[in-house]
Amino acid sequence: MTITETTGSTHTIVTICGTLDASTAPDFRNSPAIADPSRTVVIDLDKMDFLDSSGLGALVGVLRRKQEANATILLSCMNPPVRKVFDITGTCKLFHIFDDTDAATDYAATYLRGR
Amino acid sequence: MNSSNITITLPGELRFIRLASKIASNTASLFTETRKTEAENWEFAHAFELAVSEAFTNAVVHAKKQAAPQPVTITFTLEERKLTIAMRDSNVPFSTRTPSPDPENYPENGYGLLLIRTVMDTVTLTRENDTNIITMSKTL
Repeated sequence: MTITETTGSTHTIVTICGTLDASTAPDFRNSPAIADPSRTVVIDLDKMDFLDSSGLGALVGVLRRKQEANATILLSCMNPPVRKVFDITGTCKLFHIFDDTDAATDYAATYLRGR
Repeated sequence: MNSSNITITLPGELRFIRLASKIASNTASLFTETRKTEAENWEFAHAFELAVSEAFTNAVVHAKKQAAPQPVTITFTLEERKLTIAMRDSNVPFSTRTPSPDPENYPENGYGLLLIRTVMDTVTLTRENDTNIITMSKTL
């Protein structure tokens, strides 16, 4: 798994390429914008080819900590194998999910202006 | 009934999770080749990729609690239209009494067995002679 962060003035776009599972979740949690609870992030999942419950748990935990710090996670470009895990577990209702990263970025800007 | 068995043994370590799940999905994918639509074949292979990732992770996470992590043995049984995977380890078993997590509480754990049971046709968990056996099968 590789993580790329593109940081703007208000939020960070995080691109995850590869697999998010128990072996890669620690690296995900330690990525700077992910580890900063007060930083709102858009996570682009277009190049994530596999997610399991350990990766999902990492996403849910980070979302909770960010929401407690008045920030959030926005998800974009989910592939079918990734979407399936959210749908089965019902965790899709916890996240704002967008078809493309531009829409998520626009929403993030609006969200942060409204705080 | 004709069937073929393939057995592999991997170290019970986190870094082998992806290898185990990819072996499962590739076996399922080759097993299903040209038998169904591309979408159906993909779903079949992904189901095994996900189920094995969950089961192997459970074995490895519990192995970390032991002094010496135990290996995980995976047996694939291929029948005419059915693939069965049995995973054996000597670690702490899956807790089958844990209720499915409620997303409203933002749980970070507990989704694994729910995912396995959803994507597989049949799932059995047994413990024999200090060995955990999770058997997962799916028919095309």
